[in-house]
Amino acid sequence: MLSTTRSAASMALRAKPMATLMPYRAGSAAFLSSTSSNSATPMQKPGLVAGAPGTPPPMKLARREVPLPSQEGKKGAVQYALTTLDQIANWARQSSLWPMTFGLACCAIEMMHLSTPRYDQDRLGIIFRASPRQSDVMIVAGTLTNKMAPALRQVYDQMPEPRWVISMGSCANGGGYYHYSYSVTRGCDRIVPVDIYVPGCPPTSEALMFGIFQLQKKMRHTKITRMWYRK
Amino acid sequence: MSTLLRTLRNLRRVGLKDFGHQLQNIGDTKAGTFIAADRYGNKYYENLAEELPLRTRWVDYKDAEYDPSQIEPGWHAWMSYMVDKPPTEDPILQRQVRVWEPKEHRPTLTWSRAGYRPYSTTKNKYSPWAPVAKARQ
Repeated sequence: MLSTTRSAASMALRAKPMATLMPYRAGSAAFLSSTSSNSATPMQKPGLVAGAPGTPPPMKLARREVPLPSQEGKKGAVQYALTTLDQIANWARQSSLWPMTFGLACCAIEMMHLSTPRYDQDRLGIIFRASPRQSDVMIVAGTLTNKMAPALRQVYDQMPEPRWVISMGSCANGGGYYHYSYSVTRGCDRIVPVDIYVPGCPPTSEALMFGIFQLQKKMRHTKITRMWYRK
Repeated sequence: MSTLLRTLRNLRRVGLKDFGHQLQNIGDTKAGTFIAADRYGNKYYENLAEELPLRTRWVDYKDAEYDPSQIEPGWHAWMSYMVDKPPTEDPILQRQVRVWEPKEHRPTLTWSRAGYRPYSTTKNKYSPWAPVAKARQ
């Protein structure tokens, strides 16, 4: 009761000087500026630009418990059979990765080191292919320039369907050192969808190998026939 | 990298159960002295006499889905031949954990439900296009 009366009284007190001040201010500003007042689209709220996404919803509400992949369980004989089929297909995929080498810069040197006897990539079933039609992983190693970007997209479109992309090095991840250059694509994920980002400048061969392990981990958890069955 | 005689010799030394376990995980049959297990449960072995260089220390992971980042930093140093003694014997590696250090080792969480997922709250500066392939003549 008391607070409402006080707030109403304060609002009444406040309203008068605001109302008196505002037209005076606006008029003085218009008087000072020589250009005609060319207002853009009016703002709905101060600080909100038109076209920007709204404020995110509050995070307190709607906490939803998601089961882990191990907790999802298998129901029925069909899911057991499909899980086994998926495991066989994923095993075959992950143990014979044939990368399309897109060596562009100094990262390609480290990528070549992966194939040399110290980090022998043949033991993982990785054989570099020169043709995109025979490969299923593309390792983008190095700075992707604007001139090279159409070629990268064309090579990616030529690869057969189960295909993955490893972006190697900070230049391929997001421009890196040449981010502000006029001729460099700021990340190869603007051109192709990327599965694994390997950080570093250049990343070591161990880092690239760890990225390949992460890609194999992604392949292991791909639900190929299960997603097909769900549809 | 294994001869039949070496495989049979190591099979006689490790036993049939470990032989199957090693073929499932390592892909090779190795016999060595058990050094220690770390806090997570990975077991570390060493055989400096008979194995080739850089293959003398190896780890038997606890998980079936193993990952090199599951090795703790001290054990990683031992596995990579940075130190001579394992962290259970080395006094340098048995130091106090500082307040700003994480209390326990955390492996890479990529592709798990706890993995980092970036998101943006701003509008994209560029938009994708639908590529149109010209039909073959």
